[in-house]
Amino acid sequence: MSLAARHLEANGIPTVIMACAKDIVEFAGVPRFLFSDFPLGNSAGKPKDVASQDLTLELALGLLESATGPRTTMQSPLRWKDDASWKLDFSNIEKMSPEEIARRRAEFDRQKEIAKGIRKGDKAAD
Amino acid sequence: MDENKRDGLGFAAEYDRPIPYMQRIRDYYVTLGYGAPYRWANYAEVPFTKLTKPLSKSRVALITTAAPYQPDKGDQGPGAAYNAGAKFYKVYSGDTAVDHDLRISHIGYDRLHTTAEDSNTWFPLPAMRRAAAKGRIGEVAPRFHGAPTNRSHVTTIDVDCAELLARCRADNVDAAILVPS
Repeated sequence: MSLAARHLEANGIPTVIMACAKDIVEFAGVPRFLFSDFPLGNSAGKPKDVASQDLTLELALGLLESATGPRTTMQSPLRWKDDASWKLDFSNIEKMSPEEIARRRAEFDRQKEIAKGIRKGDKAAD
Repeated sequence: MDENKRDGLGFAAEYDRPIPYMQRIRDYYVTLGYGAPYRWANYAEVPFTKLTKPLSKSRVALITTAAPYQPDKGDQGPGAAYNAGAKFYKVYSGDTAVDHDLRISHIGYDRLHTTAEDSNTWFPLPAMRRAAAKGRIGEVAPRFHGAPTNRSHVTTIDVDCAELLARCRADNVDAAILVPS
């Protein structure tokens, strides 16, 4: 998605990204970025919380208007929870047992095969 | 209790900072036995284009990584396990005048701490319509666009980005909001 923002911007269309993965988006290098420090999947606000969704959009729109140069990141003031310990969990290998790691390895291989099948199907349809 | 809180400095907990996803994911796949780490895109130069007219007169596009719900493609949530079968590999577009059922089961979102129960958290079309109704933006562009989450940067740049630009130009948009999930 960062690549798409860059491409649009380079071709004259101003962009703003709303996202939760700060390091990945900033590493790519994008013009404007509204960062919500929420679990991945909540780039546009909190579930069942219209006020947070409206605020998140408003902050992104504000960036479109106010950014004076590229790599402008703003962090939403909203907190997912008062307790930030949820941030310790995502893909944290240090918290997984050997059994859990083996299970995930098998699942990863299975999903890769499924995706390969779809790509082949798409090509055949071209 | 956090040591710094005892000191009265008001510091947040040490782990209370943006999750270092690249490090986590790299460590994860190395431990699973997939040696060659994913190479995330990074650029030294970043383009920048200013708005040419006020937002209240601008046509704003929405670009998403979410996928249309496909009943024949297995569990797509809320709360579904990762479902590569629901992925898509070509840019698609939808009419912003009608509602859409878009899902993110094909994406590695945080399945422990969120359940993908409310599409407004990844597809802010209703919020954009409210912004247009208030006059905050001129209008929502006639189509939104779906961007594939392809692991090949070459395909993303050569095919998908070019297609997204062509569709945004065809719709005469003045600005775009991009929402990865």
